[in-house]
Amino acid sequence: MSADNGHVLRIEQLVAGYGDTPVIRGVDVEVPAGKLVVVVGPNGAGKSTLLKAILGLVNITGGEVMLDGRPITRSPLEDLARNGVGYVPQGDAVFDSMRVRENLEMGGYLLDKALRAERLEQALELFPDLRHKLKRYVGTMSGGERRMTAVARAMMLAPRVLLLDEPTAGLSAALTKMVLTEQARMLADRGTAVLLVEQKAHAALEQADWAYVLVQGEVAMSAPGREVLEDPDMGEVFLGGGSGLLADAEPAG
Amino acid sequence: MRLFIETIGFGIFSGSLISLGAVGFTVQFAISNVLNVAYGAFITLGAYFGYWLVNDAHLNFWLTVPIVAIAIGALSVAFNRLLPRPLLRRGASFVAILIGTVWAGITLQYTIVSIVGPSTFTYALGNGKTIDLWDFVLTNTQLIIIGGTALLMLGYHGLLTRTQLGQAMRATSVNPVVARSCGIRIDRITDVAWLISGMLCGATGVVLAGTVSTFDSTLGTTFLVYMIAAAVLGGIGQPYGAMIGGLVVGLTTQLTAAYLSPAYEDVAAFVILVVMLLAWPRGLFGSAAAAGRRLVG
Ligand SMILES: Nc1ncnc2c1ncn2[C@@H]1O[C@H](COP(=O)(O)OP(=O)(O)OP(=O)(O)O)[C@@H](O)[C@H]1O
Ligand SMILES: [Mg+2]
Repeated sequence: MSADNGHVLRIEQLVAGYGDTPVIRGVDVEVPAGKLVVVVGPNGAGKSTLLKAILGLVNITGGEVMLDGRPITRSPLEDLARNGVGYVPQGDAVFDSMRVRENLEMGGYLLDKALRAERLEQALELFPDLRHKLKRYVGTMSGGERRMTAVARAMMLAPRVLLLDEPTAGLSAALTKMVLTEQARMLADRGTAVLLVEQKAHAALEQADWAYVLVQGEVAMSAPGREVLEDPDMGEVFLGGGSGLLADAEPAG
Repeated sequence: MRLFIETIGFGIFSGSLISLGAVGFTVQFAISNVLNVAYGAFITLGAYFGYWLVNDAHLNFWLTVPIVAIAIGALSVAFNRLLPRPLLRRGASFVAILIGTVWAGITLQYTIVSIVGPSTFTYALGNGKTIDLWDFVLTNTQLIIIGGTALLMLGYHGLLTRTQLGQAMRATSVNPVVARSCGIRIDRITDVAWLISGMLCGATGVVLAGTVSTFDSTLGTTFLVYMIAAAVLGGIGQPYGAMIGGLVVGLTTQLTAAYLSPAYEDVAAFVILVVMLLAWPRGLFGSAAAAGRRLVG
């Protein structure tokens, strides 16, 4: 699991949206293997739409999506899943009326029995809290537990590229930190190319190898996470001034 | 007392028929988010196909049931590929697709009428032996149908809970996008679901037509009210809800027929439907989240 095995997701001049007016207007993004790439931006900037465009879920009118140098533009989601692209959508990312174990088993739908059991064990090592909740119906669990289930489900296929849409929404500061530092960061360190969309810009940018700031469907800034964090202009993007990016910062310690 | 027990017996029989049809109806909704009103016309089609096999081809009734089931199952898959699925692909709204199925149902029903004419029909079956268990008076045909339905429902339960296919069907029904991101080819899953529901539809058509005294081309559309009432009672999209809903509707309508007037039988089913829709649209077993997501999203 070297971090340098060449898998890469590349998006070139992507134009995409729901009807005729594009929401994503000529975006370039690159996510190399073993890197945590973060997309931040205000509500409605088009972050979720960007992920959906990569997955062929919205109307693409221009540009290319490439996986390991091969075009995958407009490929059906199920084919992408079979080619190593994992996805945790924003919000509703679990099978509510199914048990945690069933959610994970569905994540490993394509695997044979032995491998599925092995991956389930690995997923539980990643999220030990879920081990005692395998029989719970996901619909009855807390927001944090549901997110964990969603990410664990996506890990079952051991994706080479993982797209996460606000996996920390609604989580406590402690859990947010856990998801970002222990999970997103760790998955990248193990070789996965992780593309993370985050509302909690500060916490995410701290972990990011690279970051894109998306504003009104265009890349307003593309730089290492730390640089975006320290850029005085970027505050404006979020709150119209001041220390917007630091809004979700926790007290030191 | 004897009337009461007899009525309960016949209510259970009638209820198992409604359950059989209602599960098929609700599966289409659960998997494709489609309220397929043409389902009633497909029941009628199954009834006439069965009539032809039994009366003209002189086929055994119990052999007719699976043959018609398979035929209507195949037609159901084709229908979904022709109408609801392409409409969904184009982003058609829930109501637009509903209207599409109303149109398809009317077209199918009038096509049937233009072929078979307006008269009534009866399957050429013997009266069957009557079995009198305590005060439950049922024919052996009715008892076999009750038992067969129970077995089919158990089998469907096993499919949903014990097989990977069934799990994938449930997953597709709750969250199609996430199901696809698990690599599940949901088009195949919906084909299987429409096959199963079409088979239940065809079986219901034959069994219904074979156990009423006479039927005509309105058979399925009239019965549709019973099935929708059962499906809504159990929480639309919930297979177990539809099973229990079917029994409740069967018992209620038969008790109404016995103690008020047979003329009110259809009215009772309609009243259940309206009361449930007004007072409790999620049904007895539908979760708020599921109903909201399906009807809105
Ligand atoms: N299903 C849809 N149909 C039409 N327009 C949509 C749809 N979903 C989103 N949009 C529009 O696309 C734009 C971008 O939405 P998107 O969900 O990508 O934003 P986002 O950056 O993810 O915001 P948030 O941070 O709130 O999740 C918005 O203007 C939104 O109104
Ligand atoms: Mg979003």
